Parts: sequence; structure tokens; C-alpha cells
Amino acid sequence: MSVFEGWSYEEVLTPSVDYYALFEHGMGQAEAQTAFRFSDSDGQMLSLRPDITSSVARVAATLLAERDRPLRLCYAAPVFRRQQQSHAEWRRENTQLGCELFGVSGEAADLEVLLVAAEILKDIGLADSFCITINDVGIFNGLLKQLNAQSQSHETLRRLIDTRDRGELKNFLDRNCDNEKVRDALYKLTELTGKKETLADARRMISNPDSVAALDRLGRLWEVIESLGLDGSFEIDLADVSSLDYYTGISFKVFIQGLGYRVGRGGRYDGLTANFGRSEPAVGFVLSLDSLVEVVSQSTSVNGKVEPAQSIGATELRETFLSAITERSKKKCIRINANL
Amino acid sequence: MITIAISKGRMQDDALALLSKAGVRLSPSSLASRKLALPDETGEYQFIFVKPADVPVYVEHGIADCGIVGRDVLLESEADVLLPLDLGIARCRIVVAALDPKVITRSFGMLRIATKYVRIASEHFGARGIPVEIIPLSGSVELAPALGLADAIVDLVETGQTLKENGLCIVEVIRESTGLLVLNRASYQLKAGEVALLTSSLSCAIEGATAA
Repeated sequence: MSVFEGWSYEEVLTPSVDYYALFEHGMGQAEAQTAFRFSDSDGQMLSLRPDITSSVARVAATLLAERDRPLRLCYAAPVFRRQQQSHAEWRRENTQLGCELFGVSGEAADLEVLLVAAEILKDIGLADSFCITINDVGIFNGLLKQLNAQSQSHETLRRLIDTRDRGELKNFLDRNCDNEKVRDALYKLTELTGKKETLADARRMISNPDSVAALDRLGRLWEVIESLGLDGSFEIDLADVSSLDYYTGISFKVFIQGLGYRVGRGGRYDGLTANFGRSEPAVGFVLSLDSLVEVVSQSTSVNGKVEPAQSIGATELRETFLSAITERSKKKCIRINANL
Repeated sequence: MITIAISKGRMQDDALALLSKAGVRLSPSSLASRKLALPDETGEYQFIFVKPADVPVYVEHGIADCGIVGRDVLLESEADVLLPLDLGIARCRIVVAALDPKVITRSFGMLRIATKYVRIASEHFGARGIPVEIIPLSGSVELAPALGLADAIVDLVETGQTLKENGLCIVEVIRESTGLLVLNRASYQLKAGEVALLTSSLSCAIEGATAA
């Protein structure tokens, strides 16, 4: 949280229990389904929050609507989700650490949140072991637009590209896509993972204006990342098309050596706050605190700097607690000796 | 080092043959041993041998970086893994089979379907709006119709011999299933070089196999 503070983010607290409709609007129906749901005394559907971004977006659009932009908010709080027992990310309760930046569009804001995420990971001693993959969903969406296919096949395409299921993807494209250029470009997306050269490869395949604009955005972002010498920790992954109904521009995922699943994700979601009556650009990310703790506790490189507690105990109660109060007023760490 | 999870049983020999063509070999002595975790000759790879249904689990949790497993198993599991390469090995079909092929369209009540593939079966019939009662079994599914446990079965068919010998015929082919290379999402990013090398040498090995 001190990193957030250092970048001028203010902490917000949102309700643990809220109307289910909020999350349906905020996360999209498919993801909101994971919420634990129950009904209020008037029959309205409530849920334990499965996500914090939705609530924060509402706060920004309502309570803090009059505040100056850009608005920088952060949080650390638990979310609750129903998940398959076998799932690698399985946890009913998971503490999320995250931030949202409202009211600014463009690369400056995207970079800001990426660098905040990178600093947090460095701060907890993971400088050499994290990898953030970035993509711009505009690239995939631009290609879809050229297809004018039905939304049902959009979802199938999305899933096939996201899981890099090349065999099935080829079959599907041969059946459903008669535009050869788009077909080749969609197929090629599954291989476009890497550094700068990935963008050049993509440019050769993709010509529609929406996708090219997205590629340009990503290119400018990458240039800065490279010039800051951070390109070792970042990777471009154009096949990362996992949550499209949420993100509208850049999207990213965070992986850490030693953990088999992602520990965080984020991106730009310019459409979200419109749900709460105030449309504005926004970008943010979340990290799973529980997963981070798991990695950090495994690695020995991190030394907690905890001041040893001072043991206090005298034969007389008054004397004991007098010195306890004195020490505490100096903000010293104490422990009352129980064998009085 | 890259850990590869291999499905024990039907697919094991084909998978090992293909890997050895791709330059990842187990020494004969380790092949003969009964250990379930073995290093390859170069020491760059480690093999683990697990039940087919457990391959996606090991890979999703990142205990294994990649695995070789049939699509039938993947469809049945809910694991979130990458599947970049169809290996074309252990080719077979997932089918609906019954004693009388007309049973599906003629039945008035609830159809009873015996299967190992509960998800695949319920998705298949659900998509067609056919109400079914699924009876989960763990093996010898072909017996169920003959003994009256079920009207039809959903099962994996390689040659069709077992079906025939139990008096069953194929009503519908749900889909083909082959062995796939599956990858852990984090390994795909964090061990990008090694994983890409394995994928490309496997894909060369497949091309060599189909050309020959």
C-alpha cells in the first residue's frame, strides 16, 4: 500500500455485500456468475462482492463525481467467488490488492499503472521473477469487425485463440471465415507472443484501421518500456483475449516464477463507469495478495524487518502497566510477561 | 528444466515415441523401471507418469509445465490450460452408441445414457434439447445397454470392435479425439524459450511422421 501512496493513490473501502446487479453490470454476466448470491428482505438479489473494481467504478462515478480528475484510487480487500474445486486459482476468499486511475486515457495512464504494478512486485523482492504480458484487445476486436460474424462465433473464436487451440481454430476458420486475410491473421495471433518483433510480425498480417490503431498504441507503450530498460520483465502476447466484455484497450496479466497460475491482471475499461451514469476513461489492475504471500514466503531472499518486542513484567501490576504505557507512547513494540 | 506429464495407458507409447523423435528420450533402463518420475537422457526434461484425467490437473497447477493427453480428457476436465499442438496420436472418436440406433429419436421418456464422459454427454444432448439422465460409470460402459442399465452410451471408440462384440452400433459421432500437447499458462510466459523449442521440435516430428 505504501507504493500506492507514493504514486498518490487514495485508499477506498467498499461494501462487502452489495446488489448483485452491480457486479452483473461491472464484470459482465459470465464472470458475475461466480458470486455467492442471496436475497435481501425485499427480495432483491445480493451478493458477497466477487470483484472490487465494479464498486470502485461506482464510487468514482457517484460519490466522487465532483472531484478533480485524474482520480487515483486503491484498495486491499477480500473478494469472494465460487469456483471449481480442482481449479488452480481455487479460493473462496482471496485478498485483492489493486488500483484504478479514472479520467485519463492514453499511454501515460496505461504506463502509470503498469509501473505501479512493477514497483510493487520489485518491492516484495520479486524483481527478477515476474513477467507482465500485455496486449490491446482492439487488435482482436478489429479483426472480428471485419468478419461480421455472429456474437456466438465471436465467443468460440475468443476461446480457441485464448487457449491457443490451433487444430480446432483452423477447422473453425475454414468453416466459418471466407476472408482469407482475416483468417490467416486470426490464426497467426496464436503465435504472436514475444518482444518487439511480435508487433512487426503482426503489422505484416493485419491491415484494418482499428487493429492498426491498437497496434500503434501498443508499439508506443513498448518503446517507453524498452527505453526504461524494463523490457526484460514485460512480454507482448497478442493471443491473450481472455476477458473481452470488460476491457476496451490495453489488457495485461501478471505471472511469477514458481507459481503455475497468474497472480494478477488489469487493463483499460473505458466503458465501465458509463453503467453508473458518468462515462470516463479508466485503467487499473489487481494482484492476488494471497498468491503473492505464497511466493514470497517460499523465497528466502526477503527478510522481514520486525523490531523485537520488549518484554515487560514487574511484580506489581501498576508498575508493569505504567512502563507499558510509557513504552507504547514512544511507539515501542512490547509484550507483557504473562508470569506475573 | 521442463516437466512433462504423460497419460499412462493407451497414449503412453505413442507419446514417448513422438517425443523421442523430437529428441527427448528416456534411457531404456529408466523405461524399464517402475518409477513415476524420471529425467530424460539430457537432464533437461523430467517425465511424470499420471492417470490421464490427472494430466490437466498437474499442468494447470504448474507442477508440470506441459503434458500429453487426449482431447476427450480435456473436454471432461475444466482445467484452464493452453493447447497449442495437436499431436495426431491415439486418434479415436467420441460416439453415442446403442443396441438399436433408432432409440434416440423414438424414445418418449427420459433417455438414460451411461458414460465415463459426463460433461461431454450432457453438453451434447443439452445442445440438442434432448432430455437425458446421465449414469456415470467408470469402465466397461459397453455392458450397460445389454444389461438394461441405460438406453445408450457415450464412449471412446478406436476400432469399434468392443462395440460390435457387445451388440452396439454407432448412432452419432460427437467428435474426433487425438492426443494434444497442453501447456501451463505461466510456463508459456516464464519458460517461453524452452517451451517454444519443445513445441517446434514436436511439430517437426509430427510432420516427419505424416510424410513418412
